Amino acid sequence: MSTHTADSHGEEGHSHHETVGPGYATPQAAIEQSERERVAYVVGLYTGTDVDAPDFLAVVDVDPDSGTYGEITDRIEMPTKGDELHHFGWNACSSSCHMEGLERRYLVMPGNRSSRITIVDTENRAHPEIVRVIDPEEVHELDLSAPHTVHCPTGGGVMISMLGNAEGELPGGFLELNEDLEIEGRWDLPGEIEMNYDFWYQPRHNVMISSEWAAPETYQPGFDIEDVEAGKYGHRLHFWNWEEKTVEQTVDLGEEGMVPLEVRFLHSPEATHGYVNAALSSNIFHFFEADGEWHAEKVIDFEGRDLEGWEMPVPALPTDILVSMDDRYLFGANWLHGEVWMYDVSDPANPRHADSISVGGYFGDVREVKGRELAAGPQMVQLSLDGERLYWTTSLYSTWDDQFFPEEKENGSVMLKADVDPRRGTMTLDEEFLVDFGDLPDGPARAHEIRWPDGDCTSDVWQ
Amino acid sequence: MPRVSLEWTNGRRETVPARPGERTLEAAEGSGIDLPFGCRIGVCGTCTGRVLSGEMRHVESPRGLRERDSRDGYVLTCIAVPSTDCTVEVGTDVRARLFENPWR
Repeated sequence: MSTHTADSHGEEGHSHHETVGPGYATPQAAIEQSERERVAYVVGLYTGTDVDAPDFLAVVDVDPDSGTYGEITDRIEMPTKGDELHHFGWNACSSSCHMEGLERRYLVMPGNRSSRITIVDTENRAHPEIVRVIDPEEVHELDLSAPHTVHCPTGGGVMISMLGNAEGELPGGFLELNEDLEIEGRWDLPGEIEMNYDFWYQPRHNVMISSEWAAPETYQPGFDIEDVEAGKYGHRLHFWNWEEKTVEQTVDLGEEGMVPLEVRFLHSPEATHGYVNAALSSNIFHFFEADGEWHAEKVIDFEGRDLEGWEMPVPALPTDILVSMDDRYLFGANWLHGEVWMYDVSDPANPRHADSISVGGYFGDVREVKGRELAAGPQMVQLSLDGERLYWTTSLYSTWDDQFFPEEKENGSVMLKADVDPRRGTMTLDEEFLVDFGDLPDGPARAHEIRWPDGDCTSDVWQ
Repeated sequence: MPRVSLEWTNGRRETVPARPGERTLEAAEGSGIDLPFGCRIGVCGTCTGRVLSGEMRHVESPRGLRERDSRDGYVLTCIAVPSTDCTVEVGTDVRARLFENPWR
C-alpha cells in the first residue's frame, strides 16, 4: 500500500480552482460535480452483544436502479472482536484537492474501545479490503487511547482525536498518521486539553476547534448521571492555533452546554461560523469569531418532554448534527425524542426551523418502516452532497444503547432516509427505504456512522 | 490450578481451568469459549462479570468499574485473576443491569 504526495505544497491553496487531487475545488463544485451516491459505507458492530463476531464495515447499496437497492452487499470484518467501530474517515479529502497523486481511497477505522485502527482500501468500491492494522499497543505507547474522529489535513496523513491516555483516563490528545497511514506520533503536547471528542479545522483561519465528551473510563462502561454531577462530563470548546498546535482560547458553555459533541464548521473556507450540539443539555450552540476572539452562543433549545409514568422530563438528546454542503441548512437528530430536523442557517446566528420528521425514539409518530418496528430514534446523520437525501442510523454507543433502547441489541439498528427539498426547506420520509441491520447472517448488528466514497458533508474541508 | 465456572443468564454453563496468574477472559479464550470484551485493559466495562462464589483479584485498577459495583462482586474479566475456584456470571446482560435510564 502506498499513497503518493506531490512535491509542490499548497502555496497557491486558496486561489487555485483546478483540482488535480482528491475532492472538489469548492463546496459548490462538490454539489455540481458529484454524482448521486450509489454506495454507502456504514459502520456495523457486534461489540457489547453476545454475538460472537467482529465489528464490520458494511457496504450498503443506495442506488435505486440496482437490484440490491437498500441491501448490505458486503461486510468487511475487522481482524478481531471488541473494537466498537464508531466514527471513521478518509485518508484525503478536498483539503488536498491541489495535491497531485493523492487519492481519497483509504478508510481509517478506529476501534473506540480497543484502540485498534484498521485501514481499509476502497479501490474496489463494492468490495473494500483491509490493508493495514495498527495495534492498540502502538497507540498506548504514545500515552493515548480511545480513537474517535478522523480528519485528513492538507497534504496527506491523518489526524485522530483520542479521548484518553494509555490508562483510559484523562488527558486525551491527538494522534497523527503519516501519508502511508502508519503512526507518525502525537500531534499535540500533552496537557493542552483534558477532555476530547470531535474536532474540525478551518485552515484559512488557522483554527481548529475541539469538543469534550469524557474520559474513556467514564463514558465507556455506561452513562451514570452521578458522573455528570461529579464534573466528569465535558462542557467546553477549545480553539486551537492550527499551525502552532496550542490552545489559544477555551470557551466554557456552562450548564446549558453539557457534553458538546460534533463540531461542524460551515464549508466555505472563508467562514468563521459553525455549530456544536450540546447533547446532554439538548441545545445547539453557534460559534463564531468576532473582534479577534471566538464566541459561542446557544441558538437552538430543545425542550424536554414528559413521558407518562417517568420520573423526569426526557431530554431530546441531539447526538449528531451536520451542515449541508451549501452551508444553508443545519440538520440534526434527536435520538431520545425521535426526530430529524433541518434549520435554515442562512443567518448563522439565528437558525430558523424549516422542517422535522417525527420517527422512532420515545415520541416519534412513525413507529415502523416497511413493516420493521422502530425503537431508537435517529442518531448518526449523513447528507448527500447535493443536499437532497438525508440518511441516518439508530445506534449511539453499545453501552448507552442498552440503557435507552435495549432493542438495538436484540433487533439490530436500521438505516433510514428522507428526501430533502433544499429549495423549499422540506423533508419527506422515504417509506420505501430501509436497511435492516437486524437481518444479518451472524445476528442483529448495531449501525453507526455513514460515509460516501466521494466525500461527504462531515469530512470535507477546504484549504 | 483454579477452575472457573462461567454462568450465563440464559442458563449456559462452562468450566475452564486458569493457569496461575491467568486472567479470566484469557482462561476462557484458552478453552475456546468466547466472552464479551472491548479494551482488554480494565477501562471499558464490556467484559463485566459478577463473582457468585470464590475469590478474584484485579491485577490492575478496575477503572471501568464503580466502587459500589466492585463491592457487590462485579469484576472486569479482562483483568481479574481467580485466586480460588470461582463461579462467575458472564455475558453482556451483567454489565447492562448496572446502568439504568436516569429519566425513567
